[in-house]
Amino acid sequence: MTPEALAELAARAVADAEAAVDPAQLEAVRRRFLGRRDGELTRAGAQMAAAAPAQRAALGRAFNGAKAEVEAALDARARQLAASVDTERIAAEWMDLTRLDESWTPGRLHPITRVLREIEAIFRQLGYAVVEGPEVESERFNFELLNIPAGHPARDSHDTLYLSDDVLLRTHTSPVQMRTMLEQPPPIRIIAPGRTYRRDNPDQTHFVMFHQVEGLVVDEDVTVADLKGTLLTFARSMFGHEREIRLRPNYFPYTEPSMEVDVSCFLCGGAGCRTCHHRGWIEILGSGMVHPQVLRNGGVDPERYRGFAFGMGPERIAMLKYGIEDGRELTLDDVRFLHQF
Amino acid sequence: MRYSANWLQDFVDCADVPTPVLVDRLVQTGTEVERVVEQPGAPAGVGVARVVQLERMPGSHHLWLTLVDTGDPEPLPVVCGAQNLALGGLVPWASPGTDLAAVGLRVGVRTIRGHGSQGMLCSPHELGLGSDHEGILLLEEGAAEPGTPLEVLVPPDRILELEITANRPDCLSHLGLARELAAALDRRLRPPELAPPPRVGRPAAELVTVAINDPSGCRRYRAEVVEGLTLAPSPLWIQQRLRAVGIRPLGLTVDLANYVGAELGQPLHTFDLDRVGGADGGVRVTVRRAVDGEPFQALDGGERRLDARDLVIDVGGSTAALAGIVGGRASGVGPATRRVLLEAATFDGPSIRATSRRLGLRTEASARFEKTLSPVLAALGGARFVHLAHRVAGAAVRPGPVDVEPLGPHRSVAIPVTASGLGRALGMPVAAGEAATALTRLGFEVTTAGDALTVTPPPDRLDVMIPADVLEEVGRSLGYERLPPTVPGRRRPALVVSPPAAREAVRDLIVGAGVDEAITVSLTSPSAQLALRPLAPPSPPLAVRNPLGPQWSALRQSCLPGLLQAAALNQARGAERIRLFEIGRAFWGASPSGLAEEPELLGLVDHVPAGEAVEAAARLRQLAALAVTVGARCADGPPEVRPQAVAGLHPGRSAELWAGGRRVGVVGELADGPRERFELRGRAAVAELRLDGWVVAGGPRPAARPLAATPGVVEDLAVVVPARAAVGPALAALRSVGIPECESVRLLDEYTDPRLGPGLKGWTFRLVFRDADRTLTGEEARRLRAAALETLAGAVGARQRETA
Ligand SMILES: [Zn+2]
Repeated sequence: MTPEALAELAARAVADAEAAVDPAQLEAVRRRFLGRRDGELTRAGAQMAAAAPAQRAALGRAFNGAKAEVEAALDARARQLAASVDTERIAAEWMDLTRLDESWTPGRLHPITRVLREIEAIFRQLGYAVVEGPEVESERFNFELLNIPAGHPARDSHDTLYLSDDVLLRTHTSPVQMRTMLEQPPPIRIIAPGRTYRRDNPDQTHFVMFHQVEGLVVDEDVTVADLKGTLLTFARSMFGHEREIRLRPNYFPYTEPSMEVDVSCFLCGGAGCRTCHHRGWIEILGSGMVHPQVLRNGGVDPERYRGFAFGMGPERIAMLKYGIEDGRELTLDDVRFLHQF
Repeated sequence: MRYSANWLQDFVDCADVPTPVLVDRLVQTGTEVERVVEQPGAPAGVGVARVVQLERMPGSHHLWLTLVDTGDPEPLPVVCGAQNLALGGLVPWASPGTDLAAVGLRVGVRTIRGHGSQGMLCSPHELGLGSDHEGILLLEEGAAEPGTPLEVLVPPDRILELEITANRPDCLSHLGLARELAAALDRRLRPPELAPPPRVGRPAAELVTVAINDPSGCRRYRAEVVEGLTLAPSPLWIQQRLRAVGIRPLGLTVDLANYVGAELGQPLHTFDLDRVGGADGGVRVTVRRAVDGEPFQALDGGERRLDARDLVIDVGGSTAALAGIVGGRASGVGPATRRVLLEAATFDGPSIRATSRRLGLRTEASARFEKTLSPVLAALGGARFVHLAHRVAGAAVRPGPVDVEPLGPHRSVAIPVTASGLGRALGMPVAAGEAATALTRLGFEVTTAGDALTVTPPPDRLDVMIPADVLEEVGRSLGYERLPPTVPGRRRPALVVSPPAAREAVRDLIVGAGVDEAITVSLTSPSAQLALRPLAPPSPPLAVRNPLGPQWSALRQSCLPGLLQAAALNQARGAERIRLFEIGRAFWGASPSGLAEEPELLGLVDHVPAGEAVEAAARLRQLAALAVTVGARCADGPPEVRPQAVAGLHPGRSAELWAGGRRVGVVGELADGPRERFELRGRAAVAELRLDGWVVAGGPRPAARPLAATPGVVEDLAVVVPARAAVGPALAALRSVGIPECESVRLLDEYTDPRLGPGLKGWTFRLVFRDADRTLTGEEARRLRAAALETLAGAVGARQRETA
């Protein structure tokens, strides 16, 4: 036995190990060379005792080197073979993840809820509280305290559903303004969302029941410019940051001055399109400075305080924002419609 | 209202202003423009002609053979089918080759029943001048020489269709709008021509006396007597202006009244003095309230019953007109009228409005009067009428007028404001000078003393009464586009934490569970409500007194009928799985405030098509779990589910939810009756919860405990119970009864097995016992298990299942 013979034996063992195609063959190679009793390398080791003492040290080193080399080769091959087994399992475990679990499908919020949430979020950031009031309302709160006495022409535009002579379904959420003023001293900063009712035959833009969000700010130094800035902030938050607004003088009995607010068309940018009737502007809400008599009716001194108020229709905003052409879709709860949101 | 730009031009120069600028200036200053229509003038090729011969075509009942003088030396033959021709009258004649674009006709030389016809005589409709196609357009004598192109008399025009707000009746007239336009364009306003006519004959006061019995209903009554006015055709320019604004010319007397109405905004009414006059020719006009039940024959022929709220014009003891709305049949002007009693009055707006609405009679006059007009307009309108009557028709005006104002003349009130105050309210500096200029342009009288302005509105601007009104005039004149956009900032109110946040959490939870949100109409039919309203008190639904239809005639007491109707609609449209919820108010009857009790409800519907009974049962269980979860998430612990028959629900598959000693909800499968009522096939699981005062209260504050480091002991417990035992009470008992170490318990399995014996079923519970301080011994675990078994035996009569 010479160191050269040991090296040659090791080289053969390494070659056999690398040629093994599965763990069983590799185990056979291990036994052939490293088997505890008759492995070729094991036996070569046993022969070392017979070598001349002068050669033993060199032989011993050569043997240890050869054995380490073979064991390393066997281990490396074992790792290779194991890895290929994993690869096969992994390949066999392929899944089509484009097939989704259809038993888990969340429902959809109604588009009106989405719009109401957006409106509320914008005004909460501006420091407004959200206040609610009754839907069955008195004529006093719905009309009289808001400067719309019986016989006032403005009642024509509020086709009203009555429960009795002086109890009705509120035609707007403006009565919540009045209830708030009577309950809480200025400063006041609220929005009042809710359902409202009109005796309107339903069509593409009219509803028996619809929603409104009323806003009211009362403080000592409120200005028309504040109204403008507030509604500009709202319009940009709701419809995009490039939007402009314009205040068009108009008439509401409970505000003076009164103005309607147009937002520059978010579809054409103001150039004119079908949605904006080729005007470049879309009417989105009514507003104005709270009429001094309305402040007085709410127990607020108009000599000391001013206020502004505004009202908007979530149905109209939803139709504009989501491109809903027929508003009746908003009232039918067809799931195909709801699933678009 | 419609306005003619040519007419406006009488009062303000606007002909040169391009339409987009005109529209923009009107819109920016507060007049809504619906549209602007370019109205062409009379077509080229049409000229004035005189009928010089007129005879029936032999053998025809309606055709005429005419000869017309068209300005050429020889008259031309024209066959005509209209019945309003008069020999010697002036008419429009379209020469052969003329294109009548309005009716798509090219005029030619034709032969009609053997008679030659060159060109044609035209109706207003054929000329594109109006909708009137019943007769030939008749021109007044002296309108123009034959041969004059009609274009000279009827130039092109622009028709403005505007929406005037209810507070601005002064703008319901060409003069009023011209004032707005003059201010918007910064141009001068020309007043109407009012030169008084010569007054001839006996004074009107000798013929007419006026008494106003009800000064609150009639602020002013001004009468004139005009003689020599007939229903002959009005001058073409009057006809044309009336047509341009949508009023059909009916003859001079009526046309003049309508003309002044559209021009100045004062409705005028004309009576035939000889029809209403007494034997001596004199009349007594009384403005009074009607007698209850008094009949009235209106011009339109219909008979109305009046009552004591209605204001009438009584002439000589009979009801000649419904004040401010419509004249009576017996008193109006007609072809035979020679003497006219002109009424220029001011009636109370709300009174006119109430009568007009109640009787369903809405006229040009009532639309103006109901907005409350200034008494000053009555004088202006009366003066303009007699001026025109004299100028246009040479009518004789009696010395007058008879003018009664029981409360005295109208006085505009001066309003004190300051420029600095206006600026503070607007949010930008305002100079006294610019405020004064803006107001003066709008016809206000302004005196300035430093910062202070004293502002007197024009007498017809009844809408301007207080400083806030002046603020609006100044603001819209200076232009809101000048305002800087600011937000109110200095003081913020203390914020209320609003309950809707909890409501939104509920909404998100339910949507996450796969249910779509519906918003159904809170108005409903009573029968739909009575079919299913599990939480509502037994009182009937609140009824709407004036509903649009039976389907919207009552207020809902439950969300469920609306949701089931929506489910049925979806089913009819082919949807397969319909899961809907709604959060909204119901109306449970009158509240102590006199309004209604309005609880906020959550309704849930899960519809499973026919043939899926197993799925339906699973869905019902899921829906019940969802309802309990909503409660548990937002209130003080989960509500208790109490099996209980509920009206409208399957008696073996329904339960009530209880929390805090209150019934807060129901859950169950829809019973067959309501299912058929709502036309649903298959099965529907439904639930309704009351959210107000319970769920949306915001829920309990969670309390954290340290996590135990000791190992727990897991014990599975197999028991046998009666087949209809409910697991809810069993779980509740295990959770709450005296085993402090019992950390969690759940039902692992429920099964039936013949080996259990008849009428029995098996449950397997998994319990986890844990002591936070030390590891439990095997002996302790056995003791806890025995205690659990004892608890179950007591709660539901369970016994341990013998292991085989
Ligand atoms: Zn557009």
